[in-house]
Amino acid sequence: MTLLRPPSATAPARPAVRPRRRRGRADRRPRVLMAVTAVFFALLYLPIGVVALFSFNSRKSLTVFGGFSLRWYHAFAHDDVLLSSLGTSLRISLVATAGSVVLGGALALGLVRCRTRLGSLAGLVMLVPLITPEIVTGVASMLLFKGLGVALSTGTVMLSEITFSISYVTVILRSRVAALNPEVEEAAMDLGATRWQALRLVTLPALLPAVLAAAVLVFALVFDDFVLAYFTTGVDPQPLSVRIYSAIRFGVQPTINAVGTLMLAGSICLIALALFIPRLFGRRGGLDILSGE
Amino acid sequence: MDATDAIPAVRLDGVCKQFAGSYAVHDLDLDIEAGHFFSLLGPSGCGKTTSLRMIGGFTDPTEGSVLLAGEDVTGLPPDKRNVNTVFQSYALFDHLSIADNIAFGLKRKGVERTEIRRRVGEMLELVQLGGLADRKPRTLSGGQRQRVALARALVNRPAVLLLDEPLAALDLKLRRQMQVELKQIQREVGITFVFVTHDQDEALTMSDRIAVMNAGRVEQCGTPEDIYEHPASNFVASFMGTSNLMTGTYRDGEVALDQGPALPVGRRTGITDGTAVSVSVRPEKIWLSDFEPGMPVLSGVIRETVYSGPTTTYLIEIAPGVTLSVLEQNTARARMEDRWSGGETVEFGWRPEHCLVLA
Repeated sequence: MTLLRPPSATAPARPAVRPRRRRGRADRRPRVLMAVTAVFFALLYLPIGVVALFSFNSRKSLTVFGGFSLRWYHAFAHDDVLLSSLGTSLRISLVATAGSVVLGGALALGLVRCRTRLGSLAGLVMLVPLITPEIVTGVASMLLFKGLGVALSTGTVMLSEITFSISYVTVILRSRVAALNPEVEEAAMDLGATRWQALRLVTLPALLPAVLAAAVLVFALVFDDFVLAYFTTGVDPQPLSVRIYSAIRFGVQPTINAVGTLMLAGSICLIALALFIPRLFGRRGGLDILSGE
Repeated sequence: MDATDAIPAVRLDGVCKQFAGSYAVHDLDLDIEAGHFFSLLGPSGCGKTTSLRMIGGFTDPTEGSVLLAGEDVTGLPPDKRNVNTVFQSYALFDHLSIADNIAFGLKRKGVERTEIRRRVGEMLELVQLGGLADRKPRTLSGGQRQRVALARALVNRPAVLLLDEPLAALDLKLRRQMQVELKQIQREVGITFVFVTHDQDEALTMSDRIAVMNAGRVEQCGTPEDIYEHPASNFVASFMGTSNLMTGTYRDGEVALDQGPALPVGRRTGITDGTAVSVSVRPEKIWLSDFEPGMPVLSGVIRETVYSGPTTTYLIEIAPGVTLSVLEQNTARARMEDRWSGGETVEFGWRPEHCLVLA
């Protein structure tokens, strides 16, 4: 190497050494940061881990682990009240997901394409539910139903959840709609499709990954929503979250641990699905908006 | 334009388009003959794409009417017009295979399935994409995507095919190749092509007729030769390649430049002595040697020599601040030492009729 270097006296060996030193510095692991990260994840997941662990407890205690057993899962499987609540929650989530995806998707299309002052105002108003404390939405929904003389039921939960979820769907889909090439829909119409056919045959398939990602997110949000459900549900049947809350007031049953663990497993599956769906379509994450990419 | 008996494939009749109060297209009258390769040529923002979109039905004119084969289609949506478009971005349907992309229009028309398969196969052959029927658009190269877009439009056998700068995204070599191919395909299928471009070479190479647009108006409409050799305005002259445009005063077969010598341009009827004119000579029409007998010869100083393979361009200063660009084939002076270099004085001349004088 020394031989290849030009014979200039002003170019010493420095350039060859410096990059190596720099690389070494970047390689050194910042231990403080690693510790902070470890503490963060511990605080985040320890309580959940405890719940999962004690769901396999053979004893009824919530503090002493007696040994591995599936008795609380067994108990849950035979608890008709909890099972019917689970069914109610699933129904509410499905209906709310379907409703908010349709309405939120339509809103996203409208907001992107209607470039009037009223349109941009609607775009801002749409964001309000995201920052409104949920308890306010809950109380307001309950007062609205009472005022209209509508009896609280599973149906009122569904309506409230749809209202609440539209914003999430719209926020996710709006950026996708804006990123669509307008010429593609024009091309469809040019080839003989009506406006509606162009939307159905070209625009919606292009939006499908984002739509599915939004659906999964809304399903998960609605399924474990408590506040809104608490204020708008009728007495029977109650959604799972509300049922668990009531059950805890009369003393915690370890069955709840089993339910919690199952919900956790379900959520993990959903998130995995949401991350996986866009890959199916050969493009990067539909959940970009969530992961901040 | 000539009044012909045949009904034009496309007629724009007093078409105007206003966006936010200003005219994108102003009082446009245009007849496009059936079977022609017709180019709308102009710089960006001249209204050529807007005109094309009005023919396609994507934009409604503010005033005037659009006629297709004599039928007024103003206000009709794109799916009700017998025209198809090749978009600048190609606008392929990414979720469909190449074959399904091409079949899209036929399916909308309810063409029978076996017939669709046959015609899609035919189109794939025409655009030389035989083996790619099942691929997705994302896996294709730019040139291939361009062909798919073309096939997808042509398979519907439209009366008119609209092309919005379809070659703009391709690299130079591929663009040249596609120009030739596009022209061949047009001849083969016999469909009227309306081609929007800002590239004057492209328009000259491919078109039967060209309309040069500027600021929402047609400056000139004619054959490529008309447009290039006899530009009707300064804009057309300077837009169609290098034109050596200078200003001066016409008197007795000469134009006395405002700054510089008098140039022999030949006697012109219709221009009276003392008229202020602009004069232009194309670089390839200026001779540097082997002058014809009687050809007026002037002299100037070489300021720049630009060698570009088959040709060499000289910049010749004929008066302080006035330079002429001269293009010469590297035939007579093929070797570098034969060519002139900066500072040398050369003689140059032209046939007076090759001079363009615009009053």
